[in-house]
Amino acid sequence: MVAILEKRRLRDFDWVLTLLAVVISLFGTWMIYNAQPDAGYWKKQLIGLGVSAVVMLAVAFTDYRKLVHIAPAFYAFGLVLLVVVLIPGIGLKINGQRCWIGVPGLGQFQPSEFMKIPTVLMLARYFGRPRGSVLTVRETIVGLGILILPVGLIMLEPDAGQAITYFPLLAVVLFLSSVRMWLVIAALVLGTASIPAAWVVGVKTGAIKPYQQERINVILDPENADRRGFGYHTWQSILTVGKGGLWGSEQKGAASQSQLKFLPEPHTDFIFAVTAENTGFAGCLLLLLAYAVLLTKLIHGARRAPDRTGMLVIMAIVGGLAFQIFINVGMALGLLPVIGVPLPLMSAGLSAILSTSVAIGFAISIRLRRFVN
Amino acid sequence: MKFEDETQNLKGRMAIIHALVIAILVVLGARLYFLQVVRGDYYAERAENQRIRRLRIPAARGAIFDRHGKLLVDSRSTYNILIAGEDMKGKDWNELTAPLSEGLGLDPGLLRERFEDAKRQPAFEEVTVKEGATNADIAWVEAHTLELPMLLVREQPQRRYPDNGTLAHVLGYVGEISPEQLKQPRFKDPEVNPLVKDNPYHPGDIIGQEGLESTYDRYLRGRDGYREVEVDSRGRIQRELSVVPPQPGQDLVTTIDLDLQLTAEEQLRNSPNKRGVIVVMDPQNGEIMAMASYPTFDPNLFSQRIGTPEGRKEASALLRDPLTPLFNRAIRGRYPPGSTWKILMATAGLQQGAITLKNSNLVCGGGITIGNKFTRCMGSHGSPPLRTAIRVSCDAYFYRLGLKMGLDGIMAMVDEFDLNKKTGVDLPHELVSWTPSREFKARFNPRDAEWRDIDTVYASFGQVYDFVTPLAMLRAQVAVSNGGRLYVPHLLKEARAVAGAGPFPERPRQTFEHPEPKLLPIPQDQHDLVVDGMWAVVNEPGGTGGAARVPGFDVAGKTGTAQVVGLGKDTGKNKDHSWFVSYAPARKPEIAMIALIENVGFGGKFAAPAVHNIYQTYLAKAHPDLAPAQAPTVAQSAQHQ
Repeated sequence: MVAILEKRRLRDFDWVLTLLAVVISLFGTWMIYNAQPDAGYWKKQLIGLGVSAVVMLAVAFTDYRKLVHIAPAFYAFGLVLLVVVLIPGIGLKINGQRCWIGVPGLGQFQPSEFMKIPTVLMLARYFGRPRGSVLTVRETIVGLGILILPVGLIMLEPDAGQAITYFPLLAVVLFLSSVRMWLVIAALVLGTASIPAAWVVGVKTGAIKPYQQERINVILDPENADRRGFGYHTWQSILTVGKGGLWGSEQKGAASQSQLKFLPEPHTDFIFAVTAENTGFAGCLLLLLAYAVLLTKLIHGARRAPDRTGMLVIMAIVGGLAFQIFINVGMALGLLPVIGVPLPLMSAGLSAILSTSVAIGFAISIRLRRFVN
Repeated sequence: MKFEDETQNLKGRMAIIHALVIAILVVLGARLYFLQVVRGDYYAERAENQRIRRLRIPAARGAIFDRHGKLLVDSRSTYNILIAGEDMKGKDWNELTAPLSEGLGLDPGLLRERFEDAKRQPAFEEVTVKEGATNADIAWVEAHTLELPMLLVREQPQRRYPDNGTLAHVLGYVGEISPEQLKQPRFKDPEVNPLVKDNPYHPGDIIGQEGLESTYDRYLRGRDGYREVEVDSRGRIQRELSVVPPQPGQDLVTTIDLDLQLTAEEQLRNSPNKRGVIVVMDPQNGEIMAMASYPTFDPNLFSQRIGTPEGRKEASALLRDPLTPLFNRAIRGRYPPGSTWKILMATAGLQQGAITLKNSNLVCGGGITIGNKFTRCMGSHGSPPLRTAIRVSCDAYFYRLGLKMGLDGIMAMVDEFDLNKKTGVDLPHELVSWTPSREFKARFNPRDAEWRDIDTVYASFGQVYDFVTPLAMLRAQVAVSNGGRLYVPHLLKEARAVAGAGPFPERPRQTFEHPEPKLLPIPQDQHDLVVDGMWAVVNEPGGTGGAARVPGFDVAGKTGTAQVVGLGKDTGKNKDHSWFVSYAPARKPEIAMIALIENVGFGGKFAAPAVHNIYQTYLAKAHPDLAPAQAPTVAQSAQHQ
């Protein structure tokens, strides 16, 4: 590899971005340790980080254009995996969702997590041609088509949490592909206005099931909602976060919410609550700041991308990451209903950390080639 | 940007996305500030509350002893299985019925009943599922902590009462506090548990429900300690954080003499109907040395077996029993006193001047005619003096004494001897005697509401208008015996001190609160005459109470035969009650007693021998030199006569 590392490449390598990603994910591992020191998730996560670092470098030093070129193959392969995961016996059913494939010796992985990368590449590939006109209906339909295939399969698992993380990818791409601004604004207004309407219709027709309604009610009033039933996760997460105070709770370790098992899924979905309990407002603010810097760095990279395709890849990644952060942290803070979306670079899970690393690898690769065209 | 196009302001749009991303992070940061900095303390406290639990360590209840330190009641450790209410919120109780009834061998109906009771309480903490759990039960609970984490095993000291219902009415029993009791002011006393002042009693607490257990619950009761533990989300204990050991309750020393008590009970058990009352009292201070009421019951039923279906059946049978075994006849039975009443009449007659020491003779004449009705005497005694009238229990003498005193005189006597009041004994549920008065007659016989001379005659020899509790009667007689000191009868000698420990202050020694007697103005010479008459009842030929005689020990006494129904119908279950009231030595009394044997007939025949046997037991202990070698038992004497 050393041979490939020309001087220019080293100079253009995005050290800050890499470093931030590494620091956040190590911080995340520490929190996974705090959540359940005896469970060994943190060790797995360290191994995952090692693997991810290698994969990230591999992607970073590969020409992203070649990968975009063969994106349909990835995309097709991903779809196959999404079909395979649905087959009982191959796909593992956990908590009623069949979204894992067991790989002997390696553990399990989640195709829906990886499928985001080919989807981004496909979108970038299709929308990456230099634009001569505003977004056409035909383009929009094709974009939707690219998205709907994986999302549809994921909904069959069913994993609504993963499924919704796909939408910001398309939204960002369309937004940056000359969709008329008035359309965006109209969509926003209509969307906002239709939420209550959809709620009423959904409840009346039974499309929104009672447990889903409960989850929404919990958000509106966590204190008085059913704190032992549907509201349990949200309430415990709020308690855990609040308990952290300014500098972190004094009742840590064995007395912590996660180790006493009051906080569910502390190493994955609620890793942010664990962070809040252990490091307080100070630690959480630093983490959010780190995310802000990371995303800003990515957006800067997108601005200097050598072509539209590269720009779209990075911006779609930005959209995806920001959305996941919002959903996950919003859920931990009781702003949003409980949706199983991992916190990028923080939550335990090989699939998630790997897919995020690949995404960052792409961003680095694109930046490395900024003067090539 | 190399790929800037004319169709859109790409830079601007990317800036919008950037701004949106930052805005999202700012919103999250603001929410974080609210939760952690503004409301942090509140949530921290809520988190602590669910992490830390206080588990009560029940305190040992004080033991109860007799006056010589013989153990009457103590507690032994048993184990109860409970359900923690905290763990049941939002869960379905009915799902527990099947596994619990199967695993612990419980009646599903009883379980459901307990669950219903528990749910009706606004803030229940725990429900007892099984009392007296066996080792197998405990093992079963421990083996099912995963499926049934709401189950707890708690050590529960259990009361053990004497066998054969000995002292049952005096000791009473403990039982679970009822939801109604929890609301009573009596159970809000902050002294009971200084650690939880505003709510000292909890549902499921064991409290004294009857007898001394109830009266002196505040002394007997220990103060519960607790273990502060850290629990996980399923309520499983992770660590012990601190322990406050409980402070045991105060031991009670009663005035009961167990040997006298056992003898007294034996007398009743051997009586023909096995029904009656015997109370023994120290005439110098009102201490009750024995109090037996028959039929009796087993208090262990209430402290141990009440949770089982059989126990409940047994208890409801006791409640419905027409012979009222749960009833302490000494303080709740109202009986016509018969001729024992004459002692009070004699004392009051002298006090009021109806008769005098110099001239105490009144005509017997074999009876008296009031209007056109002749009321006869049991014999023909001429014109006897008071001493003779007492000795032979001349009814007609007292008819005329009553007429001389009049209803007002009799009522004054009743008032003097506190017969129209509770005695103030330290037992719950005491009843007041019924005594003669115009109001009482009007209520008793509304068709002929006016008080007439014949009513005075009846009232003067302890029939028709007189219904006294044995204890009230004994108390009055004791005042005659000791020269006019009307003591409050009581059973508490002392509640022993308990040292302070941890957060619990010392509990000082306690004694009975009303030791001072009411003083009655009975002149010495009048007192001597009445006492002499009572001595003659037992010790002179022709006395009605010869069966109570103890050689060398000057027993004084008075028989009584209380009519249950009109004359001539006094057979079978309507036979007269047999009374004997007595004290000894006559001129320096150290022991007094009253015996009532229900529905057996003449007082001298059944009650007097019972009293005799108790004196025997007393002498064997107090004056072994005087104790007779052998004396007849009640059963024998009853057969002989």
